[in-house]
Amino acid sequence: MAKVIVITSGKGGVGKTTSTASLGAGLALRGKKTVVIDFDVGLRNLDMVMGCERRVVFDFINVIQGDAKIKQALITDRRLENLSVLPTSQTRDKDALTREGVEKVINELRSEFDYILCDSPAGIERGAHLAMYFADEAVVVTNPEVSSVRDSDRVLGLLSSKTRRAEKGEAPVKNHLLLTRYDPVRVAKGEMLKVEDVLEILSIPLLGIVPESPTVLSASNVGTPVVLNQASNAGAAYADAVSRLMGVQTEMRVLGLERRGLLQRLLWRTA
Amino acid sequence: MDSSPRVEINESTQRASAAPFQVRGRFFTAIVLQMARAPDAAFFDAVDTMLAQTPHFYANAPFVLDLDHAEDIGPSFDFIGLAREMRNRKITLIGVQNGTIEQNKAALHAGLITLPSGTDVLPESRKPPAAPKDEPKPKPDKPGDGNRNPNESGAKEPRVRQAPVTSSTGAALLVTEPVRSGQQIFAERGDLVVVASVSPGAELIARGNIHVYGTLRGRALAGVHGDSAARIFCETLDAELIAIAGLYKLSDAIDPSLRGRRVQAFLDNGTLCVESLR
Repeated sequence: MAKVIVITSGKGGVGKTTSTASLGAGLALRGKKTVVIDFDVGLRNLDMVMGCERRVVFDFINVIQGDAKIKQALITDRRLENLSVLPTSQTRDKDALTREGVEKVINELRSEFDYILCDSPAGIERGAHLAMYFADEAVVVTNPEVSSVRDSDRVLGLLSSKTRRAEKGEAPVKNHLLLTRYDPVRVAKGEMLKVEDVLEILSIPLLGIVPESPTVLSASNVGTPVVLNQASNAGAAYADAVSRLMGVQTEMRVLGLERRGLLQRLLWRTA
Repeated sequence: MDSSPRVEINESTQRASAAPFQVRGRFFTAIVLQMARAPDAAFFDAVDTMLAQTPHFYANAPFVLDLDHAEDIGPSFDFIGLAREMRNRKITLIGVQNGTIEQNKAALHAGLITLPSGTDVLPESRKPPAAPKDEPKPKPDKPGDGNRNPNESGAKEPRVRQAPVTSSTGAALLVTEPVRSGQQIFAERGDLVVVASVSPGAELIARGNIHVYGTLRGRALAGVHGDSAARIFCETLDAELIAIAGLYKLSDAIDPSLRGRRVQAFLDNGTLCVESLR
């Protein structure tokens, strides 16, 4: 049975799309049939980060409105045959999304794929709501700073009350915290929140800590998910996060990473 | 105290085609003017001074007149004229509280509503069975001609009626999940007990006491129906705001040495006190 995972945050610019691309590519690398869906209607980004923007013919909205079949809109990644992208429309807005339409598309994808990743837009309005509505699990992307943590907390509240699982009284959405743009030097200086501080407020399990790294931006610019660059610290961190998302116990490495902050830093620099 | 998350509003507009409207409960904060006597020139001067200091704060806010101490407002008092004068100052009167029967009648005639004062609100089910049916709701009889001793039945009565409520508050609301930013939890019948942390931006509201066995980082408002005996207890204090019976303190006003401590907050002679629990 396919797992529907929403990648969300509330706040913009924290790395939802980057994380969706890397988690999706990471899962595909491990042999899981994975599709990533861009819910940010009107601000089409995911296909660019995935390096397939020139291959978009039909999109998510066309499928919802019945103008195209889902097979026509899905783009198979050139590097990873297990990975597909369902791009969104650049010319429409969030009102083009309907709950019934999204449900139909997700149900159709369930039979084909192992993982369905929904890249949520920022905010808590319609687009973000529908991206999380059908989720079984949620990856809450958070930067170690107060406004991002606050918005993530708000989103966690919505995940526990405004999803289908919550409304039907089923088991709650399983939440994961993905801490991105983490800079140990700035944390040591007290300029960024510590991992423990963020965990104390959000109190959900940690999926991974992605360090701030120039390779993330350059990977986005060339359309290669950073997880495919194993030489990069961020890529390695995403690969760890993918393992945990698949249920592989790698929890201790996260704690070690935090405790051996200085050593890790030295290792990261030479990487 | 306004709540209703935006997602909810979106949903209601979606379903709008089915029903012409939906009934939603909502709490508003009203500003109460405690009248010392019938308004005179000095009253309007004072109002003008208040408005000059913070003109925007009062704009569009609903105002309620508390007539408890304004015995010289008689049955022939011109509430319509007063409302017009206030309207000219962009203040909207919506009602009166603690008025005598005659005062209430005059206020109703002027289109103002009579609001129950905080201490004498009782849910229908909780009313003591002995209470006679024909008793006037907001307040028992009191002479309309003034010369009223505040310690007599009029002021005492609500407290006597309050007693059964505090003793029978079996309806505590228990919350075991973290209360997230933007969430509002309202224990409308009694105490609110939270066995988790309360995030910044979250709001706890209770008719009775509030207990937080975790860190209180959001807002906590106890005794919102006017119960000044209500208290707030928390394991770790880091609150944005605490309030009891409408008296509030912002985090800035709370002694910094109490931050991160186990504390209780209570009202002492109309002052909101926060002290550490040993």
